[in-house]
Amino acid sequence: MRGRLALATGVAAAALTLSACTPELPTTPPASSPQQPSALLEEQAARVIDETFAQLEAADSARDPDLLGNRIGGDAARVRAAQYLRAEDDGPSPSELPSSMQAIYVTDVESWPRIMVGVSDAPEESTPVVGLWVQEDVSRPYQLRGWAPMLPGATLPAMPSTSTGASQLLLTDDSVEPSPRQALDDYLELLRQGSDSDLSDRFDDDIYRDRLFSARETLTEAADDADGDYIDTIQPRIEGTFALSTADGGALIFAPVTIASSFSVEDATVSVPSADRPLVDGDLDDKVTHHYRDLVVIFVPGPEAEGRPAVVAADHHLVRVSDS
Amino acid sequence: MRLRTIALVAGALGIVVLAAGLVADAYRPERTVTPDVAVDSTVVVIEPEVMALAPEGRVGVSGSGAIEAHIARPVDAKAWLGDVSATYVTGLSDWESLTTRSADRVVASPSPTASPSASPSASPSPSPSPSAEAEAADGPEFEEPAFMTASRDHWRETWRGTDRISVRTIDVPAGLPLIVTSTTGAPLTQADLQIDRDVNDGWINPLIWWGAVLTAVGLVALVFFIVDLRPVQARIEESMARLRRRRAAGAPPSPNSRRSRRSVSAGQAGADDSGAPEGDDDQTDTDDTDDHDEQERS
Repeated sequence: MRGRLALATGVAAAALTLSACTPELPTTPPASSPQQPSALLEEQAARVIDETFAQLEAADSARDPDLLGNRIGGDAARVRAAQYLRAEDDGPSPSELPSSMQAIYVTDVESWPRIMVGVSDAPEESTPVVGLWVQEDVSRPYQLRGWAPMLPGATLPAMPSTSTGASQLLLTDDSVEPSPRQALDDYLELLRQGSDSDLSDRFDDDIYRDRLFSARETLTEAADDADGDYIDTIQPRIEGTFALSTADGGALIFAPVTIASSFSVEDATVSVPSADRPLVDGDLDDKVTHHYRDLVVIFVPGPEAEGRPAVVAADHHLVRVSDS
Repeated sequence: MRLRTIALVAGALGIVVLAAGLVADAYRPERTVTPDVAVDSTVVVIEPEVMALAPEGRVGVSGSGAIEAHIARPVDAKAWLGDVSATYVTGLSDWESLTTRSADRVVASPSPTASPSASPSASPSPSPSPSAEAEAADGPEFEEPAFMTASRDHWRETWRGTDRISVRTIDVPAGLPLIVTSTTGAPLTQADLQIDRDVNDGWINPLIWWGAVLTAVGLVALVFFIVDLRPVQARIEESMARLRRRRAAGAPPSPNSRRSRRSVSAGQAGADDSGAPEGDDDQTDTDDTDDHDEQERS
């Protein structure tokens, strides 16, 4: 009887004490912010690049623009398709785009569209190529929209790492002087005005505009000799223009530019080089217009840095030749 | 008598304490628990706050067929989830179940197009369509979710499994949600979270030991209570008294006793003093003193 009483007392004591044994439910702690705020980590960016160049290689092998998949779009697809056409009948080969990257720039932006930039290793006898990928929204993939080789002697600025990401600046951001939009407008106005423009003092010298001015001078003289005209129409494409903040607080601007070079003569018929003939749209008479889709990369130094804005990469991509 | 009573009470108390300790040990709460919850959607989101509850645990989701688990930046995950129906695991309701909330996106089903295509397709195609019985035997068919064809660029890391996927929470960087998707369209059925918790059971083992000690004391007292030790006690007290009396009377030591052996050896040591090594002087002196004392006492 005494043993039973002791056992019952023991069980009761254990039951009481066990209730204090079970810990209380923990409350959910507040959410912490991610340690790597960039939109793409290095592995993600590598995945995008690998898939892009796999599709590009397939299309290049067949010289078929239809094989350019969902990783290549916009101006990049249009320029590549034009290069395939020009390459027919022993024309110039499509520009070489190395798939190995020496630098990748990503953003920390939380909205769309957002960009990724890859700087390739240097191909033989050429300079590294700067590629621009754009993602329009979360459900669409990053897409190569354009590329431009670095200009000889140009240097890209230091950029934030892929774990932190660079800020994607508004074009009107006035934390840099001039703002990205102002720098782009000034440079395009310089291209329109020519080498005698007062704006040339605001930018470092670059070979891109030198070539443009040189071609313009030659073709203007030829048009004058035939009582015709030569006109370059240069327009920015603001909706496709992006700017990243650099490590020194400056800006790296990626600006797609549309250039239409119109050449006309009096009482004669114009002709175009044989390499451009596959791109001719219509019957050429006394006027021809070459349509270009260029990508211009402009570096604006930070407030504490010395130097003027400079074009660091650019290319002149012919995409169409029209008869008007 | 009083000591034995106290020991018996201690023994009774020890039995209670020991029983309490053993029962507590048998029903000791588990250090690792796995609360779960039934779900019914193709996407399950485990919020980063929930994973923070189990820093060394695991998140598991069960379903049927291929399952993927992804991590993404919170803002990217939120944007991606804006277009899908999902079940969010939000916390613990108790140690056995999780709490959830659902976010259902209403998608208009494709309306029947009234295209006046009057092309009479008179193709007597004898293609054998699978019978209803065959479909039933294969189980219900599900459509691949639309999100499977969308971009996957925002996924920072992806794990893949079949029927069940289990991810260590330590592999998910802090602040990032874990998004589990059924790639076949079959709904996911269960989510669980393995949690290691701190159980306040450090008192159970000391309780058992104290109970055992007190019980042993009680048992000893019980033995003394049952067995009559008074004759033995009397004999011991008598022996002690006799010994005291003998010492008081200066009686010589009993033969073969320790005192008698020391007396004999002391006498021999006094005879050998001249030949003792110098290093043993102190020891010899001490022995002499002892012998002297012994002789004085005797």
